[in-house]
Amino acid sequence: MRSSAAAEFLRKAAEKAADVAHRQTIRRNISSYDLSVGRGKLRFSDWEEARRRCAEIKWEAINHLDKYLLEFEQKVQARGGHVFWASNAEEARQYIEDLVTSRGVKLVVKAKSMVTEEIHLASALERRGVEVLETDLGEFIVQLRKEPPYHIVTPAMHLSRADISRLFREKLEGVTSDEPEELVAAARRALRKAFFAADVGITGANFLVADAGMIALTTNEGNARLCTALPRIHVAVAGIEKVIPRLADLALLWPTLATAGTGQHLTTYNTLIGGPRQPGEQDGPEEFHVILLDNGRTELLADPEQRDVLHCIRCGACLNACPVYRTVGGHTYATTYPGPIGSVLTPHLRGLEGWQHLSYASSLCGNCTSVCPVRIDLHHHLLHNRRNAVEKTRHGWLENVSFRAWRWTMMSSARFGFAGRVGRFAVRFVNKLGLSGTIIDPMRTWTRHRSLPEVPRESFRQLWRKRHGQR
Amino acid sequence: MGSAETHNQSREAVLARIRAALKAQAVRPEPATHSPVFPPVGKDLLATFHAACAANLMELVVTRSWDETAGALRAALTSVPTGEVFVEDAPELRQSVDSLETPVRWSSKGIPQENAVATITGCEALVAATGTIVVASERGGRGGSVVAPCHIVVARESQLVPDLEAAFAHLRAESIAERNSFVGFITGCSRTADIEKIIVIGAHGPRRVVVILQMDS
Amino acid sequence: MATRIALFIPCFVDQITPQVGLDTARVLERVGCSVYFPSEQTCCGQPAFNTGHWDDARPLAERFVRVFADAETVVCPSGSCTAMVRNFYPELLASSPLRQDAIELGRRVFELSEFLVKVANVTDVEASFPHRVTFHDSCHALRELGIRNEPRELLKNVRGLELVEMPASEECCGFGGMFAVKFGAISASMGDSKAENVAATGAEYVASIDGSCLMHIEGVLRRRKDAARTIHLASVLAQEIQ
Repeated sequence: MRSSAAAEFLRKAAEKAADVAHRQTIRRNISSYDLSVGRGKLRFSDWEEARRRCAEIKWEAINHLDKYLLEFEQKVQARGGHVFWASNAEEARQYIEDLVTSRGVKLVVKAKSMVTEEIHLASALERRGVEVLETDLGEFIVQLRKEPPYHIVTPAMHLSRADISRLFREKLEGVTSDEPEELVAAARRALRKAFFAADVGITGANFLVADAGMIALTTNEGNARLCTALPRIHVAVAGIEKVIPRLADLALLWPTLATAGTGQHLTTYNTLIGGPRQPGEQDGPEEFHVILLDNGRTELLADPEQRDVLHCIRCGACLNACPVYRTVGGHTYATTYPGPIGSVLTPHLRGLEGWQHLSYASSLCGNCTSVCPVRIDLHHHLLHNRRNAVEKTRHGWLENVSFRAWRWTMMSSARFGFAGRVGRFAVRFVNKLGLSGTIIDPMRTWTRHRSLPEVPRESFRQLWRKRHGQR
Repeated sequence: MGSAETHNQSREAVLARIRAALKAQAVRPEPATHSPVFPPVGKDLLATFHAACAANLMELVVTRSWDETAGALRAALTSVPTGEVFVEDAPELRQSVDSLETPVRWSSKGIPQENAVATITGCEALVAATGTIVVASERGGRGGSVVAPCHIVVARESQLVPDLEAAFAHLRAESIAERNSFVGFITGCSRTADIEKIIVIGAHGPRRVVVILQMDS
Repeated sequence: MATRIALFIPCFVDQITPQVGLDTARVLERVGCSVYFPSEQTCCGQPAFNTGHWDDARPLAERFVRVFADAETVVCPSGSCTAMVRNFYPELLASSPLRQDAIELGRRVFELSEFLVKVANVTDVEASFPHRVTFHDSCHALRELGIRNEPRELLKNVRGLELVEMPASEECCGFGGMFAVKFGAISASMGDSKAENVAATGAEYVASIDGSCLMHIEGVLRRRKDAARTIHLASVLAQEIQ
């Protein structure tokens, strides 16, 4: 709990919790999302069954991961694509850096991809002198602001149109108003030339389809389609957990992802790419590379209790549903994946020692689990992370000792009754002295933020005994 | 490039870790009943498709002959600014497009240019329930359906399928995914909601999608 | 009906809001149950369990299973503590000899409103509470136990009570046990949203079936100097018709 990341989280969380403007922006965005998703679910006759089936598909894939990845690899290679397996972020970056260097690449256009954020790809390429342009509007905005995405689906959710207009007036040409149409047009103009001039298009993958040997990409803007149609090299980076068994599985996964992600029935562009331009095809890149990234995922795979975390399709529903996310915002987490899925996942990717605080930063309300389209047991995994933190890391000694003492007290009803009397007396005494809520209040961790209840003279067990005798 | 050696090393290492990890069994999720999750699609596929197109802000023009199709194409192009139109080089499209007075670049003569004002292609299938157009490399390439601000699709009634499941069955039956390195499912116009969740039509792809559907009479 | 009920009084109810325990007994007796209090009970172990200290929670869970071993039916005025026994004991006691006993006990433990409506088939407990009341869904009751309609059905039949739904009644109030003190600022901000939603209804009282949420909400309401007060469902139902 005392890692530097934890201290920073507490500091930023307190700051954001008090930021009224932030709260309003997020509330506006998420209530619009809620409305849209509510309508979207009505297009299903049985949303719960859809969730169960998606969970089944992902379970099948994850629990036969080697088989499906090999099938995918073999089919991609058969079409002349390259498949590179990376154990960690460094290997993945190195492969792409070597690629751009050997091909003399100057300009890269990127579609939105959380896994490329995870491996810090853009900054690595920029250090090599390659210009990298994010082409998803939200990503483009946060790139101009030099900040990480705030949300895995809506990267610029924290910004108002006025914020974006101010940014565009400073960095782009021809922006005169706050109108979203005008702002979108300015971004389109700014990126249009780049799509045609770029040597490399980099994308993630929403799914890796084993039986077809194709990657599936989902976007609304069409930027990923341009990234995979125009440049002469296409590089797709994907976590190994993205594989699914069959092309036909998408008939359910696509609408479910769209509904949970934005409330749409289907996202505008659902695209399948299976290789470079084939003989007889009129366009498409000359080279197609897929990077299959482990980076801690096999460790999660080795934990059958939490293996279902790998079912995640990155729809962002758990972020929107989370009252903590809505309060502290995406940047406070300081992780690639914020919100409930990030709190569960990050300790596995970056270590439990430094990142366990995120598993504690939850009221365990369970709303994340109830909205997850692939039924990941998210809030129970937060409990599992907490247990693992206590058992396997240097957890706070004071807390350990306190719980041991608490347990000793609670193992006897006489000790519990006595401790209760002492405690209640102490609280009443503090209140009588008028210390409640002051900085020397021993209950300050509670009273700093809210008032303390009045504490009764007698406990239930005392009152009951008076009325009924022993039983 | 990364040397072949590192390549192989990580491949084997990742696979070994996966296999070791999977030795421990995970509990199966609550089983699905496999009952339908979507409402049944009505018998009248055209009506269903029509409604879905309207919801997706796509234009639908129904025609009954090649002449009508050619007329619909001309009509669709009247509101497009003058400039080059990119057209999939298919015999049926040649028949309808030859009478147009706009400069045309046939797909057999290269890819759509940055300044193309519209593209005209065929499709593999139309999905009635979702208002989706299925395209592939062989239908004007990867760029043909996305580069210009206006995309016009010419399709036949027989290409209508009820839902996504049927579309995937069609892909399989016709080996479309095997034959094409690109298959695209297009549902509506290019859009974004990245600014305050306000929907803006016309991000990087077409802001206008027109389907000209010729009945099989 | 002559069901014999063992009262499971959560430790904080016992020490901080004893009236809720007395009111629970009163309501159960009014609908014809006989009630007793196994005084050996202390805490179900949830605070340690939720904080990750499962080794400290386990002996308490085992102790709880033994204390209630002979109880035919157990009723608890808390969704959270009921969920601990019914949903989490099987996992916590996975390798304990008492696991099977815990699973069976879980089937006999009920939260008060769910017991009244689903087991005793009572939706009118002949109470009177002439006030405007809004209901807060506590997370464990709602999402772990699936309790949503039971408390509302009971409230609707209380004489003179006007039930008004608040916006986002299913949103967490921000208590979350140790979360409330470890992450006080986040917890308070969530409580603030809840208080705003309560205020929007103009209700005099926020009722709930979990006293821990209410303690937090009450603290926030007082700090904000809002007029609304909190009340446990048991205490509403205990108010007799005059």
